[in-house]
Amino acid sequence: MPRAIRGVLIECEPAIKSIIVHLNSEHNDIIIEDLDESHLVVKENMVHLLKQKLEDRLKETYRPEEPLVDSE
Amino acid sequence: MPPKRKAAPAAGGASKAGRTSTMSTPGPATPRSLDSSMMSEAEEDDDLNDPDVTEAQKQREQLLGMEADEFINGWDLGSSRFQNQTKEAGLDAASAYFGKRDFSNLPLKPDHMNRPLWIDPLKGTIVMERFNPLSEQATDFLITIAEPKSRPTFLHEYALTTHSLYAAVSVGLDPKDIINTLERFLKTALPPAIRVFIEQCTHSYGKVKLVLKNNKYFVESVDADMLERLLKDPQIGPLRVHSSEVTTSYAPTMGGLVIPGTKNAAGVRQAELEKANGKPAAPGDAGNEAELYATLNEEDDDDDKTAVHSFEITDSGVETVQKRCLDMGFPILEEYDFRNDDVNANLEIDLRPNTQIRPYQEKSLSKMFGNGRAKSGIIVLPCGAGKTLVGITAACTIKKGIIVLCTSSMSVVQWRQEFLKWSNVNPDDVAIFTAESKNKFSGNTGVIVTTYSMVTNNRERSHESKKMMDFLKGREWGLMLLDEVHVVPAEVFRRVISSIKSHSKLGLTATLLREDDKISHLNFLIGPKLYEANWMELSQQGHIAKVQCAEVWCPMPTEFYDEYLRASSRMKRTLYAMNPRKFQACQYLINYHEARGDKIIVFSDELYSLKQYALKLGKVYIYGGTGQAERMQVLENFQHNPDVNTLFLSKIGDTSLDLPEATVLIQISSHFGSRRQEAQRLGRILRAKRRNDEGFNAFFYSLVSKDTQEMYYSSKRQAFLVDQGYAFKVITQLANIEKTPDLAFATAKERRELLQRTLVDNEKGGEEDVETDDLFGKPGRGKKRGGFGGGGVRRTAGTLGELSGGHDMAYIEQNKAANKTLKKKAKDAQQNAFFKKLAREKERNRK
Repeated sequence: MPRAIRGVLIECEPAIKSIIVHLNSEHNDIIIEDLDESHLVVKENMVHLLKQKLEDRLKETYRPEEPLVDSE
Repeated sequence: MPPKRKAAPAAGGASKAGRTSTMSTPGPATPRSLDSSMMSEAEEDDDLNDPDVTEAQKQREQLLGMEADEFINGWDLGSSRFQNQTKEAGLDAASAYFGKRDFSNLPLKPDHMNRPLWIDPLKGTIVMERFNPLSEQATDFLITIAEPKSRPTFLHEYALTTHSLYAAVSVGLDPKDIINTLERFLKTALPPAIRVFIEQCTHSYGKVKLVLKNNKYFVESVDADMLERLLKDPQIGPLRVHSSEVTTSYAPTMGGLVIPGTKNAAGVRQAELEKANGKPAAPGDAGNEAELYATLNEEDDDDDKTAVHSFEITDSGVETVQKRCLDMGFPILEEYDFRNDDVNANLEIDLRPNTQIRPYQEKSLSKMFGNGRAKSGIIVLPCGAGKTLVGITAACTIKKGIIVLCTSSMSVVQWRQEFLKWSNVNPDDVAIFTAESKNKFSGNTGVIVTTYSMVTNNRERSHESKKMMDFLKGREWGLMLLDEVHVVPAEVFRRVISSIKSHSKLGLTATLLREDDKISHLNFLIGPKLYEANWMELSQQGHIAKVQCAEVWCPMPTEFYDEYLRASSRMKRTLYAMNPRKFQACQYLINYHEARGDKIIVFSDELYSLKQYALKLGKVYIYGGTGQAERMQVLENFQHNPDVNTLFLSKIGDTSLDLPEATVLIQISSHFGSRRQEAQRLGRILRAKRRNDEGFNAFFYSLVSKDTQEMYYSSKRQAFLVDQGYAFKVITQLANIEKTPDLAFATAKERRELLQRTLVDNEKGGEEDVETDDLFGKPGRGKKRGGFGGGGVRRTAGTLGELSGGHDMAYIEQNKAANKTLKKKAKDAQQNAFFKKLAREKERNRK
């Protein structure tokens, strides 16, 4: 009995892919198929969450600019 | 990709490190760790852990630090003191986007196109359009009244501060003129807050003075009522020494003063000659004339001497009194009228007649001696622009007892040599006070060169150094020269200044910044920033080298990046330094520049990667653990041997290393976001010997691993240099890098091996760089600090056969350090053909 999961193809830089793989390794609930260096298929319902997590992760790497009020 | 940040003066630094106490822990983002090693002459631990500093003293110091912080915040333009003007409700649709910083209520003047200045009424920041035709004039004006903050090509930023305004008034500018000129240059009307600020800062200037007489501090004023007010103040009153009365004496008078080594000096000398011959003085340049008039007027001034009143205060209270008076709106003047000082003996010192000081050095000194007296303060000049000469010229101007404080015993020796080189001072009068030698000068006054740690060390001293300290404390010094003021924590300064009495203080530095924002304390402890050189101007005039700066982005290979995501922060640093693409870029750049005939220095903070890079590329390297003899040999080879063109240095080479041969600098790993390190490293190539060749450029490359924290740190580090007008080019792809012969780690297999090795080698936490005094200090002293923990002995089980080589075990040294081959070569070279022949004959005779 074949099983079908709705997925989304993601094309990204290798570094971003690495981060996604790293995020996936916690619960194994994001990635359906790891295609190559810059392509992934992920679960459709996880895309939103993934985006958010990715954003947080990138924030850690590049501290964002402070809002205008505090900046000099 | 983070947008390149402009220098927010120490904006993120302090808060990011999350420090609450003043100096207690050397946090990672602060340059403290380096500092403590600088101070390692005699006290190796952190100063505050010094058991001999009493608890009370520690508390006092902390309190003073806190007070200083509080004070700085209070006397800020943004404080309610100046900002209580009612805001006009000039809101429009866009106002919401600007929040508090909506200045649309400042109307533009109709001819604003022709005026070069903008001003921020909240911060006192002045922005100047460099492309405006009036910008030259505006620059001259702004340099006198404000502090330069940022000077890139098109827009310059200056800050109006209390200290800069005092400096302006002290050179004779009228507050009304300041306001009028500002009004003339500004595109908008002068904001009322700024006007009030300028008026408040300037009207009471110079009323109160702090003077040192017979080794005691006195507060002095022409106005007796003023002193009464000060004495009634709850903070200042108790600090008065009780036995002392309010005394009255006569004020010294001003007169023309000539800084030696300048053109004026020659002019005045000539004029004096002419006067002696009965001829009228030749009309010289304006400054010359003014000074001559001043000299002529001197006699007139003598008649109407004004009475001054003074009371004595305790030594420890000096800082509090200073701050309190500033707070009350009567800033204390600290000037030294050295020409009328008859109490302290004069020192026979003058610049050698052939010494010509450069225009910017002259300018900086004229700020110090602006009104014929010596002001205390800090002069900021880039590395290699002759700070030492500025210090010596100041000493030659004051001609009293001089005490020089530097960071290491090696620079003590250098300072002494420079004194002998540039001035005609008697060599016996320049004494050195370090752990090794404790001399006194022969005459009744002279120059003492010592280190910060020698004079602040509170521990058991040897009998001799105790005697020496008493000698230092018991005297009045004319001038205290503080070398590299930025490295020394404020607490140390408090101790130095409270124990050694000097009439004036001059701080010298290239990079007046710390990530922990303690720089502003120096304003009270030493004095305001007197002069800051424009780096770009100096390099255009050929005093320092022109530098092309570039940031090279090296992508992380996937397997490295995967590992990076999982790694601890310590390992992350190692990983982004060991990035094989970075390695390739480094190799490529070294090849490229060696082929051009450049001499290259590669900097790495990460000791592990330093060694790996150097071994793999077969280059020489120096780090904290390198022995003294080996260092000297490596450095000599780098300077003179045409085969040794690349030198790898750990952070011990950041400062105090003078290699004028070096023309290219590559940075593979660095100390987080330290702007100072970046600037100091750049300083290594600013004094390049070949800087005056036609079309010569020095190169500064910063290799950065993409998608890692290094990118963030890198942009933060550059802030200081960007402020000085340097532009960093970003290189994302080095052309033809894949065609490099013997490119390291070209295959995936090699890269994986490198990764594995890096991970295994660093599992136990890599070796820490042993920091010694400085590059030339005694090596290996710091090792003791490690204690017994990380001993090199390991016990493993094995068979005897294994050890003897009976098993399949063999020893081979694969990556030989290039340092060793140097040594071998040196040995071979020593053997002249003649001696070889002699040795052969001997050999034969024996048979």
